[in-house]
Amino acid sequence: MRIKEHPILTFEAKEEIQFYYNGERIVGYRGDTIASALHAAGVKKLSESIHQQRPRGFYCAIGNCASCNMEVNGVPNVRTCITPLEANMDVRQQVGKGRVR
Amino acid sequence: MKNKPFPKNAEVVIIGAGISGCSIAYNLAKQGQKNIIVLEREYITSGATGRCGAGVRQQWATKANCILAKKSVEFFENAQEILDYDGDIEFKQEGYLVIASNQTEAAQFEKNVKLQNSLGIPSRVLTKEEALEIVPHLNVDVVHSATFCKTDGHLNPFTMTDAYYKAAKRLGVEFYTYTTVTGIERDETKVTAVHTDKGTVKTAVVVNAAGGWAKEVGSMVDVEIPVYSENHEILVTEPVEKMQGPMVISFSQNIYCQQTPHGAFIMGRGDKNMPKGHDVSSSWKFLDEMSKTVTRLLPPIGELRVIRQWGGLYNMSPDHQPIIGGTKQLKGFYMACGFSGHGFMLAPMTGLLLSELILGKEPTLPMEDMALERFDGKEIRELETSVV
Repeated sequence: MRIKEHPILTFEAKEEIQFYYNGERIVGYRGDTIASALHAAGVKKLSESIHQQRPRGFYCAIGNCASCNMEVNGVPNVRTCITPLEANMDVRQQVGKGRVR
Repeated sequence: MKNKPFPKNAEVVIIGAGISGCSIAYNLAKQGQKNIIVLEREYITSGATGRCGAGVRQQWATKANCILAKKSVEFFENAQEILDYDGDIEFKQEGYLVIASNQTEAAQFEKNVKLQNSLGIPSRVLTKEEALEIVPHLNVDVVHSATFCKTDGHLNPFTMTDAYYKAAKRLGVEFYTYTTVTGIERDETKVTAVHTDKGTVKTAVVVNAAGGWAKEVGSMVDVEIPVYSENHEILVTEPVEKMQGPMVISFSQNIYCQQTPHGAFIMGRGDKNMPKGHDVSSSWKFLDEMSKTVTRLLPPIGELRVIRQWGGLYNMSPDHQPIIGGTKQLKGFYMACGFSGHGFMLAPMTGLLLSELILGKEPTLPMEDMALERFDGKEIRELETSVV
């Protein structure tokens, strides 16, 4: 879901960026955060609650709530809502609290 | 909720509801002492107990500390059952890895291990390769060798104290929180009453378990206790899946660092230039130095985000060993203070020994080495050097 028409703002076409979500190739645009690109591509579940594994999605969008923590290029607990998207990023839903490698 | 009325009389008044005060209360009540009250200025564990790293270590350089710690570990191993606790004290017994950074330190640690082994503590000397097997993310470039004791560990300081608190309450001990002691009355030879902001209670026995404020409580009855307090800072990271079993500690690199069962890392270090006093604020300097220190010794931990930092008081004695006992200067006045940063881990023995002394029993261990009078005009015999 992306806003294409807006009464005041205009959205110029931006460069496409390819990245990976759980191994699957997905397209975002320059200027996206990881979470905004995922959300636009229909990925609503970003993580799971630690104790009961309930789904957690896009929530605070300012890097405070940990709801969007994911494993990015092997690094756990990356706050995807404030991390700019880069080409070929390997983004994965993390298991539990995340493993430091 | 209506507050219970403040009592007029008590047989024993304990000042301070940290782990020491709660352990003393429990041990006294368990042995049949009636009419015990515990006074706490804030809440249970509001002082050093709730701020500490909560490690339990038997690898000490002095005999007294080794024996106290060993017997305390034996208690912690069974505390859940002994205290019939419905929560979880979270005793994680996966050892302490003590890092030697150089030859001098390694030589001292070898001596320590000999002493520890002679007292039945199963510590051993490790090469740095062996240390790496226990903690794979250790940076061996800054490690000379190590010692390891597998029965060391750590606990949750809140639930452990809660376990003592609840067990003491079941035995009839009454706790008065948010109650400030304003003075202690005495006559020529003995204590007679304790004044608080809630009222005055007459008593013949006062126990000073006031942690960072032990010296001030002593001065209320003109008993000079040669201790001072200093702020030690500590921080906690975000939780991650388990990656470190033991507590890793280095005196020369000035760090202790453990992963709690929850997954968060807790770490701290001391500051030689910290002024004496009761300040417990946090500083950017600590955050900066702590981050550099942990990143050097345990590099991957540098990737973790810091959640929170805080400070707490070490109550330092001249020989870095506790003062547990009464005093010839004043009948009925007892103290458990000067723990120099390790009061939490010794609390089971603190409570047992002091209760035996108060009840006029033969103490389980000789207590001369813990007496206040050991400092009377004497040189310090044996300084505990294994302190962060």
